[in-house]
Amino acid sequence: MNEKKYWSPYVSGIGLGLTLLATFYIAGRGLGASGAIALVTAQGTHAVVPDLISRLKYFEQYITPLKPLINWNLFLLGGVFLGSLAGSLLSGNFKAMLDKGATMSVRSRVFTSLAGGMLIGFASRLARGCTSGVALTGGAELAVSGWIFVISMFAAGFITVSFLRRLWS
Amino acid sequence: MTAPFEVSETVSLGLAVVFGIFFGLSLERGGLGDPHKLTGVFFLRDFTVPKVMFTAILVASIGLYLLSDVHLLDMGRIWIVPTFFWPQIVGGALFGIGFVVSGYCPGTAVTGVATGRLDALLTIVGMGLGSLLFAVLFPVMEGFYLSSDKGAATLPKVAGINHWGVIIPIVALAGGMFYLMERYEKKPR
Repeated sequence: MNEKKYWSPYVSGIGLGLTLLATFYIAGRGLGASGAIALVTAQGTHAVVPDLISRLKYFEQYITPLKPLINWNLFLLGGVFLGSLAGSLLSGNFKAMLDKGATMSVRSRVFTSLAGGMLIGFASRLARGCTSGVALTGGAELAVSGWIFVISMFAAGFITVSFLRRLWS
Repeated sequence: MTAPFEVSETVSLGLAVVFGIFFGLSLERGGLGDPHKLTGVFFLRDFTVPKVMFTAILVASIGLYLLSDVHLLDMGRIWIVPTFFWPQIVGGALFGIGFVVSGYCPGTAVTGVATGRLDALLTIVGMGLGSLLFAVLFPVMEGFYLSSDKGAATLPKVAGINHWGVIIPIVALAGGMFYLMERYEKKPR
């Protein structure tokens, strides 16, 4: 890892903070990421098995709108992909790989990606959002939601690592 | 004119893409497409995540409340993330476990894919499956999901103090935390 390729975390944080401030100022709302993933999941599964998915009360919000994919959070996440891609290509940081802890097998990494992702997908729906929608946005608003989410997330992360040290070391 | 502004759907969606680009660029350039960096804090090895996160929160928070104080922005029209106390405590904890296990969160997983990481793509597939699982289990969880509803609760409102009475101590705490992290990272190990 060549550390010098990246910006200082404080510079990156200021960039992220000013972006969040601009969304508050212009759009009256914050950032978000997990909602768009749930939306695409609901739409994708609904296209394949409409009878099953239309029975899910929680997914109604993603299925019933007239133009469900014309969605602010989805366009935002599309922008996140474009901005990240521009950053990684222009800096020469793009590299196709399966990234994993040094001692982990490919099979284990496929499992931890899917299982960890599932936990996050579930948890984000329960908590009304993720690190973007609740922690950053709520945190900056001084909303109680943002701060309890951040504290609970870091506490659980530290406890998990004490049991599973080999995940990333 | 007081912010936020009413704009057409097309302008609004165009702005969403622009905001997303700056969001993604900040994440990628901060190194947050890399799961080793993202999980580093939990191993006391790399404090990039808390540094980026708390810098961003404080910059946005100070700006937001400053603009509101000088009446350039109407705080009443800002959508405040609602608080559901226990669901967000439990959700935050499950999220923290998932974060350490997968190495990503939703936004940074998209950044991970944009840096060429296949494991980030698998993590996003997992997130979709987790959302689907939530929707399937929703009937048995709806009671808990809607419990301990505190609405648009904010720390200054709950404590009954001015917002700067919350922001200034957080700035001091973050400053102290950043100082300790810098010192710890420089220490030869």
